[in-house]
Amino acid sequence: MVNGRTHPLEERETVERLLERLGSEGPYALVERNGEPVNRSDYPSVVLKPGDTVLVARPVAGG
Amino acid sequence: MSGGEFLEIAGRRFASRLIVGTGKYESLAVMGAAVAASGAELVTVAVRLVDFDDRSGDLTAFLPDDLMLLPNTAGAKTAADALRVARLARAGGLPDWIKLEVIPDARNLLPDPVGTLEAAEMLVAEGFTVLPYMFPDPLLARRLEDIGCATLMPLAAPIGSGRGLKLRESIAIIVEEAGVPVIVDAGLGAPSDAAAAMELGADAVLVNTAIARAGDPVAMADGFRLAVEAGRRGYLAGVMEPQVAEPSSPLTGVVGAA
Repeated sequence: MVNGRTHPLEERETVERLLERLGSEGPYALVERNGEPVNRSDYPSVVLKPGDTVLVARPVAGG
Repeated sequence: MSGGEFLEIAGRRFASRLIVGTGKYESLAVMGAAVAASGAELVTVAVRLVDFDDRSGDLTAFLPDDLMLLPNTAGAKTAADALRVARLARAGGLPDWIKLEVIPDARNLLPDPVGTLEAAEMLVAEGFTVLPYMFPDPLLARRLEDIGCATLMPLAAPIGSGRGLKLRESIAIIVEEAGVPVIVDAGLGAPSDAAAAMELGADAVLVNTAIARAGDPVAMADGFRLAVEAGRRGYLAGVMEPQVAEPSSPLTGVVGAA
C-alpha cells in the first residue's frame, strides 16, 4: 500500500523506482516504510516487499 | 538574547529578522512573490502525504533559491506525531531544523506545553535543531532552553487570528531572560504589531496569515519587512520610558507672553 492505495509492485522495485513510477521524484520526496523513515541515500537500494506499507510525503505550503 | 547585527540560530546567521510561512496564499505564484518581497531567508513549510491525483505543483519551485526551508510539525497532536514528522522530513532531505508544534486544541490552536517539552527533549537528543512553538510561559521557556532548544517561539495571539501582541507582558519576560533567540510567532496582524514585538527586544518574528490574507500580499510582505527593520532599529536605539507630558519646545521667549 502506498498512501492507502494499492500499488502493484514491479520485480525488485526500489524506493527510487517507486517514486519515479508515481511521478514523485524530486529533491524533497519523503518516504516512510512500515513506520520507519527511509534515508534519501537509501532510496536506490531499499527494495520494497509485497505487504509493505509506504507513505510518500512532501513539503507543502504551511506556517 | 538580542544585540548584534545578525539573527543567529544554532550558529547560522541570517540578515533578515522576518521569517515567513508559506500557507494560505491564493496561489503558489503569489506566495513566491510575497516571500521574495519579505526578504525572508528562512521560510516554514508543512509536511503532508502526496495526493497522487493532485498535480498542483511543487511548492519549492516557487521559492527563491537561496532560502532555507524550515519544516514544521503542524498537524501533530502529540509528541509522537511530531517526532514522526521530524524524522521523516530529515531522512528525506529536508534540513534537520524543525519548528516543533504540538497542538491538540483545535479551537484555539494552543500548543500543549507538556507534549512540546517531551518532543523537544527527544528531538534535541536525536540531533535536531529545535525551534519550539509555545505559549509564552516564562518558566516553560526556561525549561525548553535548558534542554537545548535553539530558539523560543512564543505566540503573540492564537494562530491566524491577527489580533496582535496580546501576550506582550509575558513575551517581555521571556525576552529579558532568554539566552537563545526569541521569535514571536503567530497572531501578529499588522506591520505595527511586528514592529512592536521587535521594539520589545524579540530577535525575530514569524508571519504568515497577516501577509497571505492581506489585500495585496506582496505589498504587505514588503510592509512587514520594513516594520521589522524599523522595530529592530528602535530597540537598538533604546526606546524612551513613558512619562508625563513634557514640552518639546522652549518655555521661555514665548511670543504671546511678550
